[in-house]
Amino acid sequence: MPAVQETIDQVRMIDVDQYKYGFETLIESELAPKGLNEDIIRFISAKKEEPEWMTEWRLNAYKRWQAMEEPSWARVSYPKIDFQDLHYYAAPKNQTGPKSLDEVDPELLKTYEKLGIPLREQEILAGVRKQGEPSELDENPSDNVYSSGRVAVDAVFDSVSVVTTFKEELAKAGVIFCSISEAIREHPELIQKYLGSVVPVSDNYYAALNSAVFTDGSFVYVPKGVRCPMELSTYFRINERNTGQFERTLIIAEEGAYVSYLEGCTAPQRDENQLHAAVVELIALDDAEIKYSTVQNWYPGDSEGKGGIYNFVTKRGDCRGNNSKISWTQVETGSAITWKYPSCILRGDNSRGEFYSIAVSNGHQQIDSGTKMLHLGKNTSSRIISKGISAGKSQNTYRGQVSAHRKAANARNFTQCDSLLIGNDCGAHTVPYIEAKNATAQFEHEATTSKISEDQLFYVMQRGIPEEEAIALIVNGFVKDVIQELPMEFAVEAQKLIGISLEGSVG
Amino acid sequence: MNLHAQNTLTEAETALVNGYSSRFSDLPGDADVTVRRDEALELLKQGLPTRRVEAWHYTDLRRLLSVVPDFKPVANAEAVDPLIENALVLPVLNGAAHGRAAGPEGLTIATLADKLQEGALSAEWLTASDRFDAVGAINAAFVSDGYWLDIAEGAELSRPVELQNIHAGGQVHGRFVVNAAAGSRATIIERQTGVGDALASSVTHLDVADGAHVFWILLQEQPDDAAYLGQFTASLGKESSLTLFILNSGGKLVRQEVKVEARGEGSEFKLRGVNLLGGETHCDVTMVLDHLAPDTVSTETFRNVVTGKANGVFQGQIRVAKIAQKTDAKMACNTLLLSDDGGFSSKPELEIFADDVACGHGATVTDIEKEHLFYLMARGIDEKTARGLLVKAFVAEVIEELEDETVIEALEARLVDWFAEHG
Repeated sequence: MPAVQETIDQVRMIDVDQYKYGFETLIESELAPKGLNEDIIRFISAKKEEPEWMTEWRLNAYKRWQAMEEPSWARVSYPKIDFQDLHYYAAPKNQTGPKSLDEVDPELLKTYEKLGIPLREQEILAGVRKQGEPSELDENPSDNVYSSGRVAVDAVFDSVSVVTTFKEELAKAGVIFCSISEAIREHPELIQKYLGSVVPVSDNYYAALNSAVFTDGSFVYVPKGVRCPMELSTYFRINERNTGQFERTLIIAEEGAYVSYLEGCTAPQRDENQLHAAVVELIALDDAEIKYSTVQNWYPGDSEGKGGIYNFVTKRGDCRGNNSKISWTQVETGSAITWKYPSCILRGDNSRGEFYSIAVSNGHQQIDSGTKMLHLGKNTSSRIISKGISAGKSQNTYRGQVSAHRKAANARNFTQCDSLLIGNDCGAHTVPYIEAKNATAQFEHEATTSKISEDQLFYVMQRGIPEEEAIALIVNGFVKDVIQELPMEFAVEAQKLIGISLEGSVG
Repeated sequence: MNLHAQNTLTEAETALVNGYSSRFSDLPGDADVTVRRDEALELLKQGLPTRRVEAWHYTDLRRLLSVVPDFKPVANAEAVDPLIENALVLPVLNGAAHGRAAGPEGLTIATLADKLQEGALSAEWLTASDRFDAVGAINAAFVSDGYWLDIAEGAELSRPVELQNIHAGGQVHGRFVVNAAAGSRATIIERQTGVGDALASSVTHLDVADGAHVFWILLQEQPDDAAYLGQFTASLGKESSLTLFILNSGGKLVRQEVKVEARGEGSEFKLRGVNLLGGETHCDVTMVLDHLAPDTVSTETFRNVVTGKANGVFQGQIRVAKIAQKTDAKMACNTLLLSDDGGFSSKPELEIFADDVACGHGATVTDIEKEHLFYLMARGIDEKTARGLLVKAFVAEVIEELEDETVIEALEARLVDWFAEHG
């Protein structure tokens, strides 16, 4: 993507911070007043035209949240958050579905261009091309609606979902892909059945907060036996000042269904910290498979550690059915603070959980991330590959739990966490919890911490590659196992992202 | 933290606190020591740690330490046979040091009671390291005796020294101090055992000065109804080395803490451990290893066998300070979980602030490999025997690394005993 290269060059030239999504889009928006109370929650619920039960659900969550204490066990430190000093709702004005390119706010369009969302999708986003029509950009334009490489996008701007593409085409296959607000209105039976069934309202402090005030997010339902014809994707963007973003994602794969979903996140560069507390719930029934990938690139703060997003996220997948599979892949390069443990509950017999993670921290970033694999069913297996890279003055912690319950016969886990340290002002930490209560369980865990060896660096540099690029090259080799798990379209972008995140870490 | 404020003390906590007022007059120490004991008691009054405290995540002491027996001042504890025949035995029997024998050349022996009485101990002495240092606090409040050994500069002890902390039920709280001066060399054996229902605690301070080498063997073989709280702390000087071997086989509730600071450049720490867990034992080994100087090397290997309703815990934390470049630290914890009623939890942590290091840890939990079993059974060995052989081989591997033939033989004999008892 030439635009990306150009940005990199520009950043290099001005030699300041390396964040390339730090622009702000000047779009008129509607803001709820600052603060959090029952009225605000009713306001959000009313804005979303939610049914009464949903409002009650939120209020209940709010009550529980008030009784909870902020967790302090993670290896991150930050000044106390004033939850009353945030806007809990912000929405771009005039966003009633663009019909043609002229109707799309040019600023919004630019935003997506800058975000580097593939052109084809921009076309869709902008509404120039009708959904379901083959694009000129398609290599093989045909009536095959299941052509690979297409991505349906749900774009979430601050508190609301702006547009969802490919809806009709997905509907043909029976797949529901829409914003969660829409799902609450259109598919209440599914929401009532599944929302909060994996991450209960009072699961933890931030999950309770999210349950009370979540404003939007994506909803995916893949019916029995359907293989979702394309990649689904959501782009989250925090744009407005002093807002918290609380999105909620719910993905349900019915018996034998398959879906691959990707989320990307960015935010403008600001001096103050912004809060992002999301909840993601995945449910895989018998023989179903969900693949969930994240490229998280929230604004990490400047080189002095000022500003940046606080990313406190609860992600959990429930392999509810037999032979089901959930796979998490994450590339974490952004956020001032990350607190995130995508987990799998392996309830169904023969179910499988996977977690592939790359966490890159630079500057003053703090990451405390990892996974949980809870083996409950028989013959369940899980695999964890975590690669942490710390540079600058950052702290990068892997925290994970693997447990086999008494009845989890033949539970199998393999965990590998490797950390790479660049520079001597950073820290890398590993805190795994391994708990076996069944004799037939077989758990293996290994972790290593090292730096890029001088031999490796010398080998690459003597071929005329500058040091910074050489490091990026070696790092990309280090993270290869995880990159391979990403959908192809995003693997390239993720690789570049890692390179950019590490810029300025040498010397 | 108000989170941990406990309004009402449990029965065991009350027994501990009340025990102090009745025991106080019999405890040795000058005014300074009394102040420290009182401080320790204040901590106990705040209640024992629960699993909400990270260091006690898998051992909820408040719940597990349900009974605190009374002291039995007149009980008759007897010294046990030494692990190695020619060792100098220094026993602490029912809380009182009984060995007054002269040691081998280069060794000065004093009793801890005398040292406490003399006073002039450094400030951190008898002080719990933090609010949740329950082992340190209980021991500081109640410690009655023990030994204080000084090994002279450059001395190589001609025979091993065996320290014994033996109870005959009730409560015993012992403490050992060993200062190995520069360039000295010694083998020390520590025994923790007894007969009957007991609460035993023991704290060891080992100082390995520059260029000194210490081989320490800790055998914890408490009876099935005893609770044992142990804390082993060591500080390593420049170019010094410490090899620590720990065998846990017994006890109802066992917490063995190991805190080692590699302070001197080029120091080396080697920890080998075997936990043989059967019956209903709950055994927790918690290690914190600080690499505080450059070029330090450490390797830790634990092998655990879990049978019956036993529950094992290993928490191992390796911390590498910013200054400790070129640290080489490796930790492994391998568990054979042989029973569905048993459990094993491990938490091998790395906390690294230096970039030029090679650190790693591995942890496994599994049953015996089917292939291995098949290999033996294909040779006509019945399953039970084959399993026994494999389990023994699994732990023997760690012992065989110890290099000292006499010690290896003596330890292997203990394995045979344990397996004979636990099938």
